[in-house]
Parts: sequence; C-alpha cells; structure tokens
Amino acid sequence: MIDIRDNWRVALLVVFLLISAFALFSPTLAADDGGEGGNVAGGSNVTNLQYGLELSGGTRVRAPLVGVTAEGVDFGGDDTRTVEQNVAAELENASPADVIARSGGQPEQQSTAQPQSEPSNTVEVTAEGVTTDDLAAGLDAAGYAYEADGLREGVTETTRQEVVRILQNKINEAGLSGGTVQQVTTAQGDNYVLVEVPNQDASSVRDIVSERGTVVIEAYYPTENGSDYARDVVLQQDDFQSIGTAQEGDGGGAYVPVTVSESVAPEFQTAMQDTGLAQSGGTRCTYQADASSTEACLLLVVNGEVTNAFGMSPGLADSMRSGEWAGNPVFQLQTTNVSEAQEVSINLRAGALPAQLDFSQDSGGTTSYISPTQGADFRVNSLLTGIIAVLAVSGTVFARYRDVRVAAPMIVTALSEVIILLGFAAGIGYPLDLSVIAGFIAVIGTGVDDLIIIADEVMAEGQIDSRRVFQSRFRKAFWVIGAAAATTIIAMSPLAILSLGDLQGFAIFTILGVLVGVLITRPAYGDILRALTTVDR
Amino acid sequence: MVEFTVPEIDYTRYTNRQLAAIPLAVLVVALLIIAGWYVMTGSPVNQGIAFTGGTEVQVAIDGPQSEAEQQIRSAFSAEPESIRSVPAQSVYVVTFQSEPGSESVGATELERQADDAGLDVRSISTVSASFGGDTQTLALGGLAVAFLGMSVLVFAMFRVFVPSIAVVISAFSDIMIPLALMNVLGIELSLGTVAALLMLIGYSVDSDILLNNHILRRSGDFYESTYRAMRTGVTMTLTSIVAMVVMTITATLFGIQLLAAIGTVLVFGLATDLMNTYMLNLSLLRWYKFEGVNR
Repeated sequence: MIDIRDNWRVALLVVFLLISAFALFSPTLAADDGGEGGNVAGGSNVTNLQYGLELSGGTRVRAPLVGVTAEGVDFGGDDTRTVEQNVAAELENASPADVIARSGGQPEQQSTAQPQSEPSNTVEVTAEGVTTDDLAAGLDAAGYAYEADGLREGVTETTRQEVVRILQNKINEAGLSGGTVQQVTTAQGDNYVLVEVPNQDASSVRDIVSERGTVVIEAYYPTENGSDYARDVVLQQDDFQSIGTAQEGDGGGAYVPVTVSESVAPEFQTAMQDTGLAQSGGTRCTYQADASSTEACLLLVVNGEVTNAFGMSPGLADSMRSGEWAGNPVFQLQTTNVSEAQEVSINLRAGALPAQLDFSQDSGGTTSYISPTQGADFRVNSLLTGIIAVLAVSGTVFARYRDVRVAAPMIVTALSEVIILLGFAAGIGYPLDLSVIAGFIAVIGTGVDDLIIIADEVMAEGQIDSRRVFQSRFRKAFWVIGAAAATTIIAMSPLAILSLGDLQGFAIFTILGVLVGVLITRPAYGDILRALTTVDR
Repeated sequence: MVEFTVPEIDYTRYTNRQLAAIPLAVLVVALLIIAGWYVMTGSPVNQGIAFTGGTEVQVAIDGPQSEAEQQIRSAFSAEPESIRSVPAQSVYVVTFQSEPGSESVGATELERQADDAGLDVRSISTVSASFGGDTQTLALGGLAVAFLGMSVLVFAMFRVFVPSIAVVISAFSDIMIPLALMNVLGIELSLGTVAALLMLIGYSVDSDILLNNHILRRSGDFYESTYRAMRTGVTMTLTSIVAMVVMTITATLFGIQLLAAIGTVLVFGLATDLMNTYMLNLSLLRWYKFEGVNR
C-alpha cells in the first residue's frame, strides 16, 4: 500500500515529469513557425524544443552601428532640418541625409522609450569615416554649442530602436522565418545590434541587411477627360532630405514629418499644382477604398506596390499654390495612428537604415555561420555524447554499489532532472545551444554526486530500521547537498545575469538544474531509496 | 563486471607536512608555469579566438589529410594560423588570428573564397579583436566573482578559519593546476574551458564540504570520519572523471570542440581535486583538529 503522504516527494517528481513531458511533446504547444530548426533536418519535429543556431544552422551577426553623437547641443532656435543642413555643410564626407538632429525636449519624443537617456538635443552623424573630432569641428564651425563631455562614438537609443525595427521588417519581408533582430548591451555598456537568421549563410544575411528597396512618391490624379487616372513619379527616394520618425499629432492622429531637398522642391511644387493635388481646399484621398472615384492622391510606392495613399490638407495646398512652400519644403504625412505612421516611415526609407551596421574588423562585431548539416550533426552527436556519458556514469555507479536497487534509481533520477530542464526549455521556447547542453552535463555531474552522498549517508552502518533514523540521516546528507548547491549557484550567477556572452545559457541551465535537483528530484531519490531499502526488511 | 571499492589509506603513517608538501609543490610549479607564460607571452594562458579575435572556418574535404591541407592553404588569401582535422569526420578546422594593425580578412570574404574554391563550408565564425577583449574581461570577471562568492559562502557556512581557508585554497589550486596544464598541452582558453573552470569551483567545493562536514560536525574518530567521507567523495569524483573522459573522447571524435574542451579541463581539475582534497585539505583539517583547536 503506497501512502501519498509518505511519498509526496516522489509524487511531486512525477507531477513535474508529466508537466515536462507535456511541454516537450504536446502538439498544442508547438511553435507556430515550425521552430528555428523546423525544416533543417527530418525527425526533429517530434518535440517542441527550439534549437539555437549552433544546433540548427544559420547566421548570427553582431555589430555596432556606424556613427558619432554629440549630446546637449544648443540648436539656438533653429529647427532640426536647418541644424542638419548646417552641420552637414561643415563636414567633408557627410551629406544632410547622414546627419540626424533630434530635439529631446519635444513631448512627442518621450513616447519612444527611455526618456531619461536623451534629455537634451542631440546631433548624430552616421556617415563612415566621421570621428568625434570631426563632429566637434563641424558643430563649432556651424556655430552650435555642445556639452564638452557629450561627444561619443555610437548613436542614440532612438536611432538604435529604429534600426532594429527596420531590420526586423526587412528580414520578415525577405520571408526568413525565425529571424530575429535585437539590441544587446555588453557589460562594458557598448551597444550592439544582434541579427540571427536560421538557414542562411553569412553573405546572404549581409545582403539582406544592407539591401535598399526602391521607393517613389507618385501623384495619382484624374486626367483631363475625367474618367481615367494618371500616375506620375514626382519624388524619388534621393529627393528627400530627411524622413522623420512617427510622431503623435495633437488631435489624436499621427504623422511622419518629411523634408524635400531644396533643389527639387520647386519642381515638386509645380507638379502638385499641375496635377490638381494642390487645388484650393486640398484633396481628400479615398484611394484605398475605391481607386476609381477618388480625388487626386499622393501614393507611396515601395518596390512597385502602393503601400499608402495621402490627400493634401488645405493649408499645404495653399502654400504650394502661392509658391511659399518651396522656401521651406516640409510636409507631414498624416495617418490615423502611430503604428501606421511608423509603417509609413519605414516604407519611405525602404530599408534604408538611419545608421549602418559596422562590419569592419576592429568594430567589435562578430559573425558566425553554421551550416545546416553541421547543426544537424551537432544535434545528433551531442545527444549521443550525452547518452554515452550517462552510460559511463551508470557503469561506474553499478560497479561501486553492486546493487541495482541503489544504482538504477540514481540513473533514473539524474535523467529526470534533464527531462524537467528540457521540458522547461521547450515550455518557454528557450533555444537549445551547445552551451545549454554543457549546462545539462554539469547538472548530471553534480546531480549524481549528490545522489551518491544521499545513498552513502542513508545506508551507512547497516540497516535502517525506522523512519526516524532515515529522516535524520537524510537531513544530514542534505546539509552537504544544500551547501554545495548554494556554492554552485553563487559561482554561476554572474554569468547568468550578464546579458552578453555565449555562456549565459550554460549558467542559467546549471543554476536551474541545481534548483530542480535540490528542491525536487534529489529529495525524491531519498524517498525511493527508503522504499527500496526499508520495506523488505 | 569490474568492481571498485575505495581503499582505506593509513593516514597515521604520514605527517601533516608530508601530506601537504606534495599538493603545495604541484601548486607552486603550476603558478610558476603560469607566471612564466605571462612573462614570455604577455598573457597567463593561451587564448583562443573568442578572446583575441579572429576567424574560424570549418570545411569538409574528402581525401587524404596532406592533400586537404594543401587545398585549404591555396583556397584562402590569408595564411591560416592553424589547421586541425576532426577525426571520424573529414572536417578541418582552420583558424585565422586577427593580427593587431594588419588588415585581416572578414568572414564574408573567407566564405566567398571557400565557395570559389569549391570547399564545403560547415561553419564560420569571426570575432573582432575588441569584442574578444570584452569577452575576456567578462570571463575573467565572472571567474573572479564566482571564486569570491564561493569563498564568502564557505566562510559563512563553517565560521572557523582553518577549515574554511582549506576549502578555498583547494579550490584555488583546482583551478590553477588545470590552467597550467592547458598551457603545457597547448589547449587554448575558450568559452568552453571557462565554463569548465567555473564547473570546477562547484565540483571542488562539493568534496571539500563533504570532508569538512564529516570531520567537524560528526561525532567519532578522526580517521573513521575521514574514511567515510573518502568513500563517498572518491566515488563521486571518480564517477565524474569517468563520465568526463568518455565525453571528451566521444566529443573529440565527433568534432564538438566545446564539449571536448569542457571534458578535458574537467578531467584535469577533478584529478587535481582528488589530490588536493585528500592531501592538502585533510592535512590542514588534521592539524586544526589535533593542534589548532587547543591553541
């Protein structure tokens, strides 16, 4: 008769094993996109485990962004467009498009995370070959004061977020499932952009990341006879001096501010007048609803496809008709909400990044590519290596105890720790990498050590005749195990917390394994051992 | 089937000085090697490309080894720092060290060259020198913090100086001796070996705590407690050594460098731990138990 109250530790272990098995094998929890390793090799879809690049094949690129930044710049009342032009004019190898001025004081900017990191006006130059000294000289020449200690390598948080968003879009558009882009910060405070794309080699990822799409703005307007519509390209991508980030409007909507280069502004203005877009009272565009009955529109065309359509506001139309607009060629593309505005901003850039990834050798970047064959090999071979190591442990334990009742549960318990960890990894979708597998090995190693301590302690000096004796011996064994577990956790925690480094997975899984071991599996082994060694006496 | 039992050693035949002399001498030799390495190369250990920066390319080539190496050398414009072959698979690991100052060839360029030469590229990874430097700081910092944290915890648990310092010295020696052996055997410091050194802190403390616990907290004769602790502790360490030897061999055959590196360092470290725990730590404990307490 098995009493649950006596064997609650074993019951707990069984419950955890069932949960893990569910997380591992249940099709309801399967990843939507087939997982990172989904289509690499056959037979890997039996479980819900996600594999990292080392075990599935793919490319990982980690690179900083090209650029220098001056913080605390006094714009002296000029708007950001003027600042960009003035600074660019003083820099040899930067065009106005390479200079980004941001006024941190504007309330709109605070919606983009971390307001405290950009409390002041900043000027960034994202052209290659511009040093902080160049920027300082440029700012001096243009007559803008800046904080002496505000000059630094790198770009602002806002720019990094934009880059990450644009890259993620490009990767999604390229149809690469499972590709991720994220920002990482090293322990030294350096910022990197990390791009991971399964099943692609390094050069194709580089191509995707640096590729530019074509984007044009077309005027869409009714022809003279009134029944047909004509489409004319009125602006090319190069005609924009700057494309702003999405901003929230006062009246609830959102907009993207854009600036047209002064050289093409008069031409654009004339085209707007000729096509009837800049008619008195502006135009209302209903292109998306019905393209054959709308008033004249401006169309945003990305890679040949119309992505957005805009009408013209009465105020803008008036200033174009009077010819004033070309003197200050700025307009806003209005949208109904911020996410739509972000979309427009990204479309306008057509994959052009505000700052490029720096692939030069001394940049601090890393690239790694694992071929899918190699990944599949590693996956199978590391599993085999693990199994062989477990067999070696089993052999040694049997040789030492010569008692299946002691040794067999030991192996089963050690393996169940790995199953629980695998279930955990599958449950949270943590991608398995070689470093995580190294963590599993560390867990089996310390696990078996602890089980040997429990076995020796419990069976010391012959028979165990009462539960009290057993409990007291078990508690003694546990002091050692707890102490050893605490030191392992302390030893691993720095690596688990630091956000960079391939050892993070190793540290996290070693700590988790030790916790699972001490709290769940190793106590259960004590109960199993008691059942096997006391009952039949 | 083989059977092993832990032999009972007659410790009374040896003085504390005799017992402690051997591990301490080995530790001194290890420290000398590391110091010598530092003087000669400017770095206490051989560092792999994860720390110095560089590129590692793995290519699969069928055919005899000398021919394959020739093919590899002609394929790349840069001179490889080393070419190693992976047994059991026709895979070659080619590394290019990034020399400070010189223009080195990037991953994309190498990938193109390998493709042009018709080599089957299994993997490429590039680490830039400055990133390698950051990783080095991180790894060493992590190791130092881990060691300090362990020391503080050990002192907090035992609350007596001699047994605690014995554990800390053993752990220190358990890390230093494998490091020196890595230098001698030409094993580079990699992320895998750093992981192994961190694991060693845990393993080393395991058996030391067990020994201290048996001797200090249990009633009974010193030698009897020692034997009981040894029976458990030696079993533990031997089991781990067997597992790691087997893992190292399989991982080397399969060409999984990370696991092979971890296995090798752990085998060194665990063997060192056997010596340190049952000679150095034990002699310190015996001195503390029989002479130190009375003072």
